[in-house]
Amino acid sequence: MKFRSLIIKNIFRNKSRSILAIIGIAIGAAAILGLGLVTDSLASSTQQALTTGAADFSVLPSSFGGHGSGGGFGGGSGGGFGGSSAFNGSSGATFVSAGQTIDQSTLNSIQQMPGVETAAGVLRSATELNGTTQPLTLLGIDSQDLSLDDVQITNGSAFTSSNQIILGSTAATGLNKTIGDQLTFDNQTFIVVGIYETGDFMSDRGAILSLSTLQNLTNTTGVSQILVKASNGTSPTSLSSQITQNYTNLTTSTSLSGFNRMNNGIQIIESGSWAITLIALLVAGVMVVATMMKSVSDRTREIGVLKAVGWNKRRILALIIGESMILASIATVIGLIIGVGAVEVLISSHILNGIHIALSLNLVLEAVGVALFLGIVGGIYPAYRASRLAPTEALRYE
Amino acid sequence: MSNENIVKIENLIKRYDQAGVIALDGINLEIKKGEFVSIMGPSGSGKSTLLNMIGALDQADEGSIQVSGQNLMEKKDFSSFRSKEIGFIFQLHNLIPNLTASENVQIPMLQTNNSDEEMVKRATELLGSVNLGNRVDQVPTKLSGGERQRIAIARALVNHPNIILADEPTGALDSKMGDIILELLREIHEKENMTLILVTHEEYVAKKADRIISMMDGKITSENCTL
Repeated sequence: MKFRSLIIKNIFRNKSRSILAIIGIAIGAAAILGLGLVTDSLASSTQQALTTGAADFSVLPSSFGGHGSGGGFGGGSGGGFGGSSAFNGSSGATFVSAGQTIDQSTLNSIQQMPGVETAAGVLRSATELNGTTQPLTLLGIDSQDLSLDDVQITNGSAFTSSNQIILGSTAATGLNKTIGDQLTFDNQTFIVVGIYETGDFMSDRGAILSLSTLQNLTNTTGVSQILVKASNGTSPTSLSSQITQNYTNLTTSTSLSGFNRMNNGIQIIESGSWAITLIALLVAGVMVVATMMKSVSDRTREIGVLKAVGWNKRRILALIIGESMILASIATVIGLIIGVGAVEVLISSHILNGIHIALSLNLVLEAVGVALFLGIVGGIYPAYRASRLAPTEALRYE
Repeated sequence: MSNENIVKIENLIKRYDQAGVIALDGINLEIKKGEFVSIMGPSGSGKSTLLNMIGALDQADEGSIQVSGQNLMEKKDFSSFRSKEIGFIFQLHNLIPNLTASENVQIPMLQTNNSDEEMVKRATELLGSVNLGNRVDQVPTKLSGGERQRIAIARALVNHPNIILADEPTGALDSKMGDIILELLREIHEKENMTLILVTHEEYVAKKADRIISMMDGKITSENCTL
């Protein structure tokens, strides 16, 4: 007979006791995984919801003297129209420029910086529609970068050619335009291919066309601002600082306070999850200790016999801790299944609406590690007590 | 039986502090290697305490005790000594209920370096010698009291000990089965030339031994040779 066979046989000797211990540890493992999964998923979903598409900050010329934060297009940009100088466009129309611009080489250079996931140039202007005095704010940006400015197309699609334009929902209502209609300014006619919303009243009163088209219309080669999104693992704060250090003629306008608030929120969620998990661990730990103590107590006489036949303290310790570890291993597997299953049930029953499961190997390893640790630690004290039993007293135990 | 003393006890005293009881009060005893000795006395006379001292399960407070050349007054762990030198047989067989007869016999061998195959072979051989060759894979709960005690005897012999200590080995058995067990013990003692020390409160059991040591109130009151 192998020693490990004895350990395994001992576990199944008192099934109800073993099942109790397994339930205890499984609750711990399930709590770690389930709560961890909810927290991670919540944090990930929240982060995704708050940051998907949106730029972390925008880069502006340092002499930019706009209307201040909050004005202008899009969330995260912070800047608004600056300069307010009027000039004639390529066909004689009057455009209002965004003031000082950033040249293309600087844009290219920022795009190449380490830690930059995306850097998109944006040109801002305004014009009057042909035959009216109705002003229309214009934004030039490449269509693949629209999400960086929080532009959500609610109807139609993004522009794909230089004669296509998308209209803000407020502008579309005000101008009574819809998909397929034409819009003429600067003596050029554009086809409305999409209606968008940004959630910003000012932005939704404007129109967006491709960056190169607006640059041609305004005879500009640069951009008004650059929307920057930091890559995963890069702090937007440090990236922003690095840009202002490298380019002294540029400044950054950020929504970092919002970003920090979000991070704080996620940290609070994680702290709460850990607190609940610790309580679950405490309960599971007490159950393991109680179960193993009962197991040792029930077998006091047997342990006395084992000592009488020559087993040393180390072997008695190994027996009890071995049993505890196997119980913990079985419980861990069950706990993992319960943890993931419970979260799946919560999601499928729409209790956790909008949360996407973010099961990571780290989380699984964490749950496995903690549950096994719990099994070992839970077994140590009972094993120590068993190993210290005086053989004569143990043999007299009824 | 040789002239060599395997157990040598001088003025051994054991007190139980909590109750203030003197369990052994100046015991002097010598047991020869290969001898079959009964320690007889009423309950509370100190016979089981003396057996536990010889088996290094407990330690005396004063005096000296040497067993198989080992000074048992030393402050150390005697598990290795017990494993190699002593085989215990208890009144209640104390078998592990979910293990088979063979596995129960192998328990003391788990502390040694024997291979799995060697352990199985030795257990099978011993169970055969106590007439349980056909019960090797049975669990104790399906066996009679006599059969269980025979498994306990096989377990006591498994590590080739020099001394067998039997504490009321027939106490839980009827007289017929008790006689069978005693006869088996005597056979093993003679065949293996092992020292057999048996504790009992029954005279007819004690008389099976070569020498009877009577105890009362922690003292040896008489030593009688039955041969």
